[in-house]
Amino acid sequence: MKEQVVCKTSDIQPGEMKETSFGRQEVLVCRTPDGNFYAFMNQCIHQGAPLDKGMICGATTDKSKPGSYDYCHEGEVIRCPWHGREFSIKNEGRMLANPSKKIPSFKVRVENENVIVYK
Amino acid sequence: MPKYQIPIVDTDIHERVQYKDILEYLDEPYKHYITNCHWIQEKHMPYTQPSVAGVDRADAKIPDGRPAGSDLKFMQKQLLDDIGHEVGILTSALDPSPSSMHGWHEMAVALASAYNDWQIENWLEKDERLYGSVHIAAQDRDAAIKEIDRIGPHPKMVQVLLPIDDIMWGDPFYHPIFEAAEKHNLMIGMHHNEPPVYYGKWPRYFIEWHTLIPTAHMKQITSMMFNGVFDKFPNLGLMMIEGGFTFIPHLMWKMDQQYRDLRHEVPWLKRKPSQIMKEQVRFTTQPAEELTKKEFMSLLEQMGTDEMLCFSTDYPHWDYDSPYRALPNLDTELKQKIFAENARAFYPKLPNKKEG
Ligand code: FES
Repeated sequence: MKEQVVCKTSDIQPGEMKETSFGRQEVLVCRTPDGNFYAFMNQCIHQGAPLDKGMICGATTDKSKPGSYDYCHEGEVIRCPWHGREFSIKNEGRMLANPSKKIPSFKVRVENENVIVYK
Repeated sequence: MPKYQIPIVDTDIHERVQYKDILEYLDEPYKHYITNCHWIQEKHMPYTQPSVAGVDRADAKIPDGRPAGSDLKFMQKQLLDDIGHEVGILTSALDPSPSSMHGWHEMAVALASAYNDWQIENWLEKDERLYGSVHIAAQDRDAAIKEIDRIGPHPKMVQVLLPIDDIMWGDPFYHPIFEAAEKHNLMIGMHHNEPPVYYGKWPRYFIEWHTLIPTAHMKQITSMMFNGVFDKFPNLGLMMIEGGFTFIPHLMWKMDQQYRDLRHEVPWLKRKPSQIMKEQVRFTTQPAEELTKKEFMSLLEQMGTDEMLCFSTDYPHWDYDSPYRALPNLDTELKQKIFAENARAFYPKLPNKKEG
């Protein structure tokens, strides 16, 4: 399957995410606060947890200094429901603690209120 | 159809009680203290944020809103049936529990008994795969022994979970408890709750505390070792739950070397410490560090045995280990040992392997 409508834009509010399917694959569609859509495999690359059961949130950043936190990217980070690894939605699903690893992603476009996932 | 093809004996599963569920197992006036006086156990952990749902897997919360681990049916569906467990050993969520409760020993003793009765009736007798741990309030030693004598003979109780306190486990204070456990073919289990890994205080960050839990386990093994517990109670075994396993070679080497130098101080040790560990101490695997197969095999070689590690998931906690992904892909025979046979050989009260 090359492309598929997985949901309506109104099904996912900015800062939310939702499990959908693309053919036989479970796909996590995320909508960042700026309204854009992103799609990832709905399975954590660590031990396989279902990512849709985690949360979409912000993260403390590497600008933090010992004892003082810098927090931003609200709505742009997926946190796994099991061990809590964080993945950046806007940076290709890369793991914050180890950016060489990323959740496989899918392409997404919006047409007439339809969210379409394709390869 | 279970997904996992080889038998699994899961050595660390957390069932969880809520105060309202335990009331019927408590006598008065303890019931009164909880219902009318709103007593709850004081907890100290300053960090409740580690993961998405505190210290639980976010997908293990019961759909009706109850906390993770509090419903047998949900646990069956999400864990036991889904993976295809042959045996699961319950280790509780330790709350309410006598562990780390100072003062008011009477309440701790009452809670331990109520917890044991609740566990038997609602879990052990409702699912044949589940085995249990005897809870005791060790701070009242005589009451603890009575409880071991009362509950220990239950066919599905396999170990005593000894609360961690400020008396090290090798201390003669605990020996009568070990004697009672040995009498009933129960092993001793250690699972951290609020352990003093940091000189009796909490470190600033959860990550520090969680990284250092193995040190608490190393201390108790060392204490029991040199105080001669394993020689005095040759049929007693110690299961170190959720405290890591990559430190095992270090501890064996260190204790053996110290023993060669300083044997004269502990002449009651009749075997090398590493030998005693191989014979009487076991370790659950979760939370497993991420080792390659090569690293894992080299660690086993350094331990000199592949019979000390026992697989565990720690369901439903946040740092759950998946049987499919937590350990490197091992050869079948080794897998069978780690995932089931080592634990089966360790706990005398676990049934033999199912045929077929
Ligand atoms: S399974 Fe996602 S962080 Fe471990």
